Parts: sequence; structure tokens; C-alpha cells
Amino acid sequence: MRLSLVFSAALRESRGARGRLLFFVLCLALGVAAVTGVSALVASIESVLRSQSQELLGADISVDARRPIPESIDGYFDFGEKAERVDVRELATLVAAGGKTRLVELKAIEGSFPFYGSIGLEPRGVLGALLTDSKCAVAKDMLVECDLKVGDSLKLGGAQFEIVAAVLDEPGRLDMAFTLGPRVFVSLDGLARTKLEGFGSRTRYKALYRLPRDPGERVLRAARERLDNEVDDAPYFRVESHRDAQPALRRSLERFESFLGLVALLSLVLGGTGVAQIVRAWIAARTQGVAVLRAIGFRPREVLAMYLGHVALLALVGSAIGATAGSLLPFLVPIVAPELVPDGHQILWEVAPFAKGIALGLGIALVFSVPPLIAIWRVAPVRVLRNDVEPLPAPRIVTVAAALVLAGGVFAAAFAQARDPLYAVSFTGGLAVLAGLLVLAARGLVWCASRLPREGLNPYLRHGVAALARPGIGVTGATVALGLGVLVVSSMVLIDTRLTERLRTALPPDAPSVFLLDVQPNQWDGVAAKLRGMGAPEPRSVPVLTARMSAIDGVDVKELSQKRPDDSGVGRRRWVLTREQRITWMRELTPDNKLIDGALWSDPEHLEVSLEEKFAEDLGVGLGSRIEFDVQGRRVELTVTSLRKVEWESFGINFFLVAEPGALDDAPHFRLAAARLEPEAELQLQSALADEFPNVTPIRVRPILDKILNVVSKLALGVRVLGLFTILTGLVILGGVASSTALQRSREVALLKTLGLTRLGVMRLFFVEYALVGLVAGLIGSVAGFVLSALFLERVVDTAPQLPWLALPLAALAVAILSAACGLAASTRALRSRPIESLRG
Amino acid sequence: MLSCHQLTKRLASGGHELVVLDHVDLQIGRGEFAAILGPSGSGKSTLLGLLAGLDRPSSGEVHLDGERIDNLDEDALSLLRRRKVGFVFQSFQLLSNLTALENVLLPLELAGATDARVRARDLLEQVGLGERTHHYPAQLSGGEQQRVALARAFAPRPKVLFADEPTGNLDAATGARVLELIADLREREGTTLVLVTHDREVARLAHKRIHLRAGRVERIEEGALA
Repeated sequence: MRLSLVFSAALRESRGARGRLLFFVLCLALGVAAVTGVSALVASIESVLRSQSQELLGADISVDARRPIPESIDGYFDFGEKAERVDVRELATLVAAGGKTRLVELKAIEGSFPFYGSIGLEPRGVLGALLTDSKCAVAKDMLVECDLKVGDSLKLGGAQFEIVAAVLDEPGRLDMAFTLGPRVFVSLDGLARTKLEGFGSRTRYKALYRLPRDPGERVLRAARERLDNEVDDAPYFRVESHRDAQPALRRSLERFESFLGLVALLSLVLGGTGVAQIVRAWIAARTQGVAVLRAIGFRPREVLAMYLGHVALLALVGSAIGATAGSLLPFLVPIVAPELVPDGHQILWEVAPFAKGIALGLGIALVFSVPPLIAIWRVAPVRVLRNDVEPLPAPRIVTVAAALVLAGGVFAAAFAQARDPLYAVSFTGGLAVLAGLLVLAARGLVWCASRLPREGLNPYLRHGVAALARPGIGVTGATVALGLGVLVVSSMVLIDTRLTERLRTALPPDAPSVFLLDVQPNQWDGVAAKLRGMGAPEPRSVPVLTARMSAIDGVDVKELSQKRPDDSGVGRRRWVLTREQRITWMRELTPDNKLIDGALWSDPEHLEVSLEEKFAEDLGVGLGSRIEFDVQGRRVELTVTSLRKVEWESFGINFFLVAEPGALDDAPHFRLAAARLEPEAELQLQSALADEFPNVTPIRVRPILDKILNVVSKLALGVRVLGLFTILTGLVILGGVASSTALQRSREVALLKTLGLTRLGVMRLFFVEYALVGLVAGLIGSVAGFVLSALFLERVVDTAPQLPWLALPLAALAVAILSAACGLAASTRALRSRPIESLRG
Repeated sequence: MLSCHQLTKRLASGGHELVVLDHVDLQIGRGEFAAILGPSGSGKSTLLGLLAGLDRPSSGEVHLDGERIDNLDEDALSLLRRRKVGFVFQSFQLLSNLTALENVLLPLELAGATDARVRARDLLEQVGLGERTHHYPAQLSGGEQQRVALARAFAPRPKVLFADEPTGNLDAATGARVLELIADLREREGTTLVLVTHDREVARLAHKRIHLRAGRVERIEEGALA
């Protein structure tokens, strides 16, 4: 059959389909808007990253490490011509100015930093040229906060600096990353004067390179590989090119997209079930037409193509509306969450999410229409002669193919959203199981309704129950769709409320609220006295030593790390091996540590270490494994004799690695202290420490928790909005079912009116009927939602669920009212029909 | 052109089996006009459905244009109907969302006819609806709808036209006009016509009158009575 015939038939079929068009379009538009919205949002964040990638990095290549970066590696980035290099160092430290002290992120730069982009300064100027060894530039926020102005001076470590400019803007410092404090720039010479660098400080070293021209992806990768293989320290260097700027941010963006993308897909899939409902009702009303087409000589698959063409046409309209709405979402971001958009960034309309939305909408509509369209095969052509013909059995191959098309389509959509086959399979399978359970529950209820004795009931209720039991009006479908919507929303709300609540109360009443880094062993008594003086009940401290692993069970770590996946992939497992480890030692474990295997300090023959269970898993070691550490040049081998489970939520001082006392005590170390202070005392702590202990860095837990909470609540808002889309879709589906049975209904209404019922009476009948459907769907959906979230909270997040059981009946009631309203709204035409119509038949 | 041998159709009805057609043998020649007569429930429509390949017999054979059709699958039957068969029904069976012209075009487009539009317009002219091509079925009278159905039936030049009580829903005058049209078109196109009716007047024009009673052929009359 020619395509033009399919097309013209599709167009013709659209005539007089206003009601169908409306619900069909709405069903899809909501889901497509959700799907497009998520990817448009991600695309626009990505475009921010892309447009700024060189600026974000400030260079073409950046090498980043916790140790000085030797000049010997420069040669690896000479591609024909010599690459230009500048050095940057970063560390968190305290600054004292105007009688106040606060934690800042100090960045020491030289020469032409940054190579790309510019640091916004007030007064205008070039940063590298302004900074001499006694000058600094300070973030504008901090100047305001500490009541400082350009020309004032401040104290960093042991040196005074004059403030020569306010920093307004710095590329690469999106506010999405957590920062410890405002930025202060000094020159490398200035940093040397502060004497903050050196033993015990956590300086980040960066070498930035500017290349005369872009050598291309492949050459760069080859250079990296050579560096990895030839330079001893290479495992400790993180090399980034502007092509992969902000890898951590990109990774979280990807996860964000996968997760929200799947949640959005749920509402689209739900829209698909709505489409299926509408198509089912529509094809049922077209049985005679199909019979005529068959009699004229159309083969079933040709009729299918005609009807699919019509579906595609409607789907295109719905998807276009949804995709347009969704793709405009990023333009709302500057209004809702301005901190996510860097100043001056122009948000552009992206075509890719729009196209993806249309493709997904079209695909979902088509694959969901195929199963109900199997009805075409069941229409016997001989129906044109008699109405009482038994339907033909649909060929088995057709039913199987339809199911496969549906499952394959959902899988493909899930894969497009999550880009991970495992997620896609879980999504498709999980959805199938849930839908299956909901179908069973709905069928069970219909079964019960048909067997419920109705004699004693109020006539309205009797009619409503009878309507639930009436075969073939799509009650099951509507219940499943609405139930699925309720399930999604209720479980999202439950999970997110519980998690937010947990985060908010995450700081137990006796947990420390301040951590102090870099306390030298001989400073501890003084620091502890100061803390007690400020009201801290029991300041605690533990020794901390930093060391790298050099070998596991006799195998060199470098060799091990090369066998591991690169750390740009998931898991970052190579990093687990090569990073700087923090080790403490103690005689007895604190109460938030539980031994789960082995025994503490039980082997008199060897020096021992106790590992946190997940960390041991990441390392790939177990009891009896020997881990060799490089402790400032000295090799120490520790044997794993116990594994611990750590309750991290206690916010106590905890470590992956706890060594046996005596094993490492002599090595140079510092102490990590923790104390609980009242919020006001916390604010004064920085100034209190700055004079006597300038090297001690206090870190407050509360602001960090607040930042996490802020991000989580934004994510949760997104999930809730998307969840709302699913409920809306469910209601639209119910409306669609109500409206697609309008013809049948209007005869019924006319008959009821002939029998003497007023219009109000008919409305009451309908209200009860749709409310019952809603009640049932709400109940099934929220019970399933409760079960699902309880499972998720207990099994996945390891949190006691504590669900609000009262919400169950409330949710069901709310859905009942909503669904009654929707059902009535969609039945207005039927409600208007006059008694005389029942006589015409 | 069209024949059946020992054609039998049984239907399950409320737990027991009902024999609707009982070992029917028939032969209809090319270009012939055959009328099937009989009271309600005698199996007229069932026989028509079987001869036209709309339905399959319980046993027996049907041959249409030299091809055995009782054992064909659904797709093959569709193709057969598309190429060789036209229909006119008592209740017109036009597609309500298509205009008169589009209804006539449908089988032509399906057959991939290059002159579809010209042919469809021509046929609508012939049945006297040249001015109403863009009307929807609901905007046409019963007689007009049946004339559109006629145009649609003849459009792809079928070898056999099956008509099931084509005048059953029409008043006498309109019915007569429709019958005239059928006869005219049949003459012009050389189509074999099988017509089911319980109206003896209608059957008078037929070359062959097959009388059914309780699923069996009671008698066959040859020769037009006009």
C-alpha cells in the first residue's frame, strides 16, 4: 500500500475527532513536556559548560595534584611547539582582617593566569599584573561581609597583604560546587611569604598549559598515556584538557539526567497507556468501518497502517505542543534558580531536546497503539452482512509481535533516557511488574464489584458499583493508569520527604558541629582549652597521618592501578588506590564503629590495620591482606585483621583506615579535632583561633549540610513537579475514557432522564461512579507507593521508612474527588442529551 | 464464473449447532445476473458471504473466476476481494468520515489506479451525484447513499458484484431507480451480479433465481421473467 494512501487516510480519519484529539494530545503533551524539559535543562547546563570549557579550565590542559608538579612533565605537552605553563596553588586557610577572621580559599597564581577568560576585577585590571608579593585580590562578597575596601590590608598566615582589587567573577567557579569560603588571590611569591605552605597543609598544585594550537583528541590521549607510563608520579596527577573540563560536574549532570529522565519517562509512558485507552475505544467505535474496509479488500495490516498513520498524526500534534513547552523550560531557570546560571550567560533554545521529545512522544504513542489495534484482526469482514458475527481470533504471531513492539519500544525509550542498558531493562521490567500488579488488583476489584450484593445499597452507590463491574468500558485501563500516577507521586513524595527530613535532622544532638584540621600535636592542649572556654563540652581529637599505598600483597600499586578502569569511568576505582590516604590509630573503637569480621589488634606477630567494609571492597582486599604504605619515604606494611561498619551519619570523626596503636605513632602527623559549639560560638571560632593557631583550619558542618539540603530540595522539587505530571496524565486518561464512551453514555443519560431522573440526579450517578474508580485507583496506587518506598528506603538507602499511614486514605480520597471532577467535566456532552434521543436508538 | 459444491455452514448457537447452509450446489456463469431468494433466516446472506469470500464455510468448496477460495487465508481473501469483487449492502456501509468522492476513491486508491479521480467522478456522474461529490454520507438521503455505494462497488471494475438486499432500506420508487442503475452498470461493465432479495419483483430481472429454504436450495429458475 502506498504511503500517500496511509497519509490521506490518516488525515481523513482525523475529521470529527475533536474529543479524541483533545485527550490524545493532552495525554502525550504532558509526558513529552516532562521528557523534553529534563533534557533541555541538561542541555542548557551542558552548553554553559561547553561554552566555558576553556575558561573553566583557564587553560588547554591542566595537571592537578596534591604534590608539586615537576617541570620534567612539560615535554609531554609540547606538540611541535613549546607549551606555555603557569603554576597555581590552592589551599583553604584563615584570613584576619578588620578584627574578623574567616575561612577562605586561597589561590596563588603567577604571570598570565588565566590563559583563557578573565578574572572580573574592580577596579578593572589584569590580575597577574596587579599582584606583587604583598598585594592580594579578594572576593567582593567577603569585602562586604568583613566591611573592608580596596586599599585596606589583611593578614594571611604570617604576612600582611594590601587589597588591590575586589574579585567579581572567576571562570571555573560555578556555585554548584561546594566551596569552603570566598576566594583570595595572591601571587606565588606572596604565598611563600605567608609560610602556609609546607608540612601538613593541604595544598593543591596545578600546572596550567596553553598550547599554540589544538593537537586534537587523539594526540592528547596519546600524550596522557605516555605520561602515565613513563612518569613515576603519574598516578597521582589528574590531567584534564578543556575537552573534558569539570568531569565531576559532568558526571553528576549525567546521573541527574538519567534519573530525572526516567522519572519524566514515567509520565510519558503513562501518557502512552492513555493513548492505548483512547485507541481502544476509538477502534471499538470503528468496527463497522473496519469491516467495510476489509470487505473492500484491505488486508488487516493495511488497515493497521492507516490507523497507525492517524495515531502518528495526532501524536505529532501532541508531541509538538509538549516539546515546545518543555524546551522552553530552561528559560525559567534564571527566574527560579538564578544561582545555576552564571552571569552573562545567554540561554539558547536547543533543538536536540525538542527533537528528542518529538521522537519519544511519537514512538511511545505508536508502540502503545499497536496492542489495542490488534482488534483490527478480530473484525470479521462478514460483519458487513450481519452484526451478530463472532469476532475472529487474532493470529498468535500478531499478538506476540504487538507485545514485543510495546516492550521493545519502552526499553528503547528508557535507554534513550538513561543511556544504560541495565537501567533500561530495570525500568521496563519494573514497569511491567507494577502494571501487571495494578491490572491484577483492578481486575480483582471489578470481580468483587460484580459479586457484591447490591440490593441494600443506596441507588446512586448501586449504580456506581454496577458501573465498575460493567465489562469493557476501560475501567481497568483507567484504574491502572491513574493508579500508576498515584504510585509514582506517592512514592516520590514519601521518599523525598523522608530523606530531606533525615538530612535536616542529620546532625544528632551530640554530634560535633565543627572540625579542626591541621592541629599540630603540640597545639592540641591549647586548642582544646580554647574550645572548652567557648562552651564545647568534650572536644575530641585523633591523630591523622597521610600516606599513600605503595603495594598490596606485594604487588606494586602502580601496577594494580593500571589494571583498573580509568577514573573518568564510573566507580573511580583507580583513584581509590592512588590517592593520599588518611590513617588514624586508636586502642578501642568509638561506638559508631562496629566490627563485622575479624578481631581488633589480635595478631601479635604483625602490625595491624582495620578497614571500613566498603573501602575494603573497593580496594579488593580482605582479612589477611597486606597493605604497604609509603609514610613520608618510609615503607610500613600493615596486615588487615578486622573489618568495620561505620555509621557515617553520626558525623563523628571516622576513617576508612584505623591502624594499631604503636605502628605509626612516630611518623609526623597532625591531629583532627571535633567539637560541638553553639552556632554563635562557631562564628567566633575563626577569630579566636587565628592569632594563636593560624595553621588550624576550622570547618563548620552546618553550612555544608545546608548547601547539600539546598541542592537536594531543588532536585526533589524537580521530581515532585514531574510526579505531578504523571497524576495529571492519569486524570486526563480518565477524562479520555469518560469522553470516548460519550456516545454510549449519552444514550444511557437519555434513558435515565426518560425514566424521570433530573440532570442533577444523573450527575450524582456519574460522580459516584468516577469517584469509585478514583478511590480504587488511589488506594491501589498509594498502597503500592507505600510498599515501594518502604522497600527503597529500607533496602537501598538503609533508612527506617516511618511512613505517614494516615496519608493512605487521604490520598485515595483526594484522587477520588479529582477523578470525579475530571469524569464529570469530560461527560458534559453526554449529560446534555435529551430523553427523546433514547427513543431514536 | 462462480460456483459452489456441497457448501455447508454451521454456527454454534446457545450450546447446540445450527446448520445455516446445508450442502448447497450452484453454478453462475460469466456476466450472469443471479438472484438469491428466500424468507428471513433461509441462509441468503450467509450464502452471499461465502460466495464473496467474506466468510469461510464449514465444509464444501467455492470457486470464483477459476480460483478455489474456500481454503484461502485472510490476506489472500482480502487480495481476492480487492481485485475481483464488489459489494452493495442493504445498510449502504459508507464510511461516515469520508465524502462521497473519497468513499468511491478508496478501493481505487487501494488498487493503485492511476486514473482514480477521473474514474470516481465519472461513476458518481453516472449515478446522478456529480454535484454532490463533497457531501458526507450523513448529508445524503438513503437513495443517494446507496448510489454512492454503487459507484464504489463498480469503481475497481470487479468481475462479480454482490448485492445484499440493496433496496431493502429504500422506498419503492427509490429502490426501483437503484435497481435500474445496477442493471445499467452491470450491462456496461459486463459484471456478474449476485443479488440477495426477498422481493420477487426485483428478482424478475435476473437470469437465474435461486430459491433457498432452511439452508437448502429449494429450486432454481432460469430465464428472465421481464
